[in-house]
Amino acid sequence: MHSIFSGEWERKRRRRRIFVFSSLAVLIFTVLLFSMNSGVTPLGPLEVLKTLFGFGNSNQSLVLFQFRLPRIVIALLVGAALAVSGCVLQGISRNSLADPGILGITTGAGLFVVLYISFFSTVSAASPYLLPVFALIGGLLAAALIYILAYDRQLGLVPMRMILTGIAVAAGLNALMTVLMLRLQPEQFDFVAIWLAGRIYGSTWPYVYSFLPWFIILSVFIYYRWRALDTLTFGEQMAKGLGLRVEKERLLLTFASVALAASAVSISGGIGFVGLIAPHIARRLVGPNHALALPASALLGGLLLLFADTLGRTIIQPSEIHAGIVVAVIGAPYFLYLLARSNV
Amino acid sequence: MIETDQLHIGYDQQTIVNDLNIEIHSGKITALVGANGSGKSTILKALSRLMKPSKGVVYLNGSSIHSQKTKELAKQMAILPQNPEAPQGLTVTELVTYGRAPHQRGFGSLKAHDKEMIGWAIEITGMREFANRPIDHLSGGQRQRAWIAMALAQETETLFLDEPTTFLDMAHQMEVLNILEKLNVQEHRTIVMVVHDLNHASRYAHHIVAIKHGNVVKTGTPHEVMEAGIIEKVFGIKSDIIKDPRSGMPLCLPYNLCEEQAASPIFGS
Repeated sequence: MHSIFSGEWERKRRRRRIFVFSSLAVLIFTVLLFSMNSGVTPLGPLEVLKTLFGFGNSNQSLVLFQFRLPRIVIALLVGAALAVSGCVLQGISRNSLADPGILGITTGAGLFVVLYISFFSTVSAASPYLLPVFALIGGLLAAALIYILAYDRQLGLVPMRMILTGIAVAAGLNALMTVLMLRLQPEQFDFVAIWLAGRIYGSTWPYVYSFLPWFIILSVFIYYRWRALDTLTFGEQMAKGLGLRVEKERLLLTFASVALAASAVSISGGIGFVGLIAPHIARRLVGPNHALALPASALLGGLLLLFADTLGRTIIQPSEIHAGIVVAVIGAPYFLYLLARSNV
Repeated sequence: MIETDQLHIGYDQQTIVNDLNIEIHSGKITALVGANGSGKSTILKALSRLMKPSKGVVYLNGSSIHSQKTKELAKQMAILPQNPEAPQGLTVTELVTYGRAPHQRGFGSLKAHDKEMIGWAIEITGMREFANRPIDHLSGGQRQRAWIAMALAQETETLFLDEPTTFLDMAHQMEVLNILEKLNVQEHRTIVMVVHDLNHASRYAHHIVAIKHGNVVKTGTPHEVMEAGIIEKVFGIKSDIIKDPRSGMPLCLPYNLCEEQAASPIFGS
């Protein structure tokens, strides 16, 4: 009777999963090393390792610990957060096109970040620790708007209507942001322009510290609910039949995923598509089970954004292309490909 | 035993079922029959707490289901909705494993008993050789059996099925119904299902509930319900009722529409 759990097939599957996760780890490590090496001040791989373990000179330490590492850590965390958020949104909406960027959640967060920043005369005067809070309010407002507009009392949350509403809300919020820009001081104007282009602007340790608790708490909270997320992908009736409190779980998961994406973009600028691409590839690699798909999405998201950011700041040195633009160059065609495949 | 007390069910302002009082007997197969839009699926949803009635109560073994935790109820009743959908790439065993969800908490992994139930459910539905196949690679009949296996893994006394044989060819319809019959005979499961085919209802069910416009027209054994007059009232067709030479159960042979039905333009004006 138990042989279905211990057959050759199951072993093969397990090996494949181990292979996927270790390949991802190796890839991240490789990009990480490359990212630490490259920049305006070149550091060789050996110098990077020496500096990491405390044997570098003060200049090398400064470059590595104060400039490169925080930015790398932020790219990894933000990428992972957006990917996990996208994975959850796709699961609860049963639509592979759901993504915090496309749905306008990140734009809502961005709008509130801009509002917050515009209260201060200079960008640096604004405390980074309040950023995620304001972003969260904006993200939740955008999500609530989409929910209200896309909810049907008989059919529940209609996936396609949700995507279309999201795109409309995102467009509206973007327009609002542009209007706001016209009234800003030059420095604040630059900040908004940077935010919209998706630059990882928060590249110092305080930004890492302001985001890290949100990231940890929300990720753990979401991961603890992987079974509920799995059950929700069977549809509302089936999930209810399996004993899930559908409304409550869906609300909690939506809240957590919106909060995760919003707090992420409060330190990184509006980066889209990571939440779309990473979960999709993750499911292809490890299957639909969220116990595996969530961590795989996180790793892929981190990898993708770190790669994009590293590429963006090395390809046309000393100038840089913002990470959000690099991701969009990869992500937009992927979105169209998914759209073409989904027969709608 | 499941009973309803003056059940009113409706979407928005529109009432679909009015003042419904029915009894579902434990250890029996009950078939809900009726024309399209008669409200039979709605009644099934209300009985299985997928839909909240606007008035009235559903009792499961004497206590109201509306005051019980949905997770506790999931250990007593399993539901297979119409056309359920599984995410791409999910295998049969994985799907069936979700049937254990109401018995698990948090990160909890599968216990020996969970695995036993999953293995049993796969075995009894004849899905063993497909256990590691992705659901989306299966035929309609195999897929339906996989979903039934999932509902069985839930280890419940009662099983609700909404049109489990629709969209299946004849052999697969029979396969599914035979499994349900086996479950009833061997495991004494209470089965409540919506079926389209009256003769299937007659052949497999102990009780038939005939529904029209959200009201029960007749309830009873197949011999009691399968009468030309009742069929005419419920489905709007004229039929001969004959005795199945093999099973001795009544068979319905429709031969025409009723006067009013025949007179009205069916193919549009």
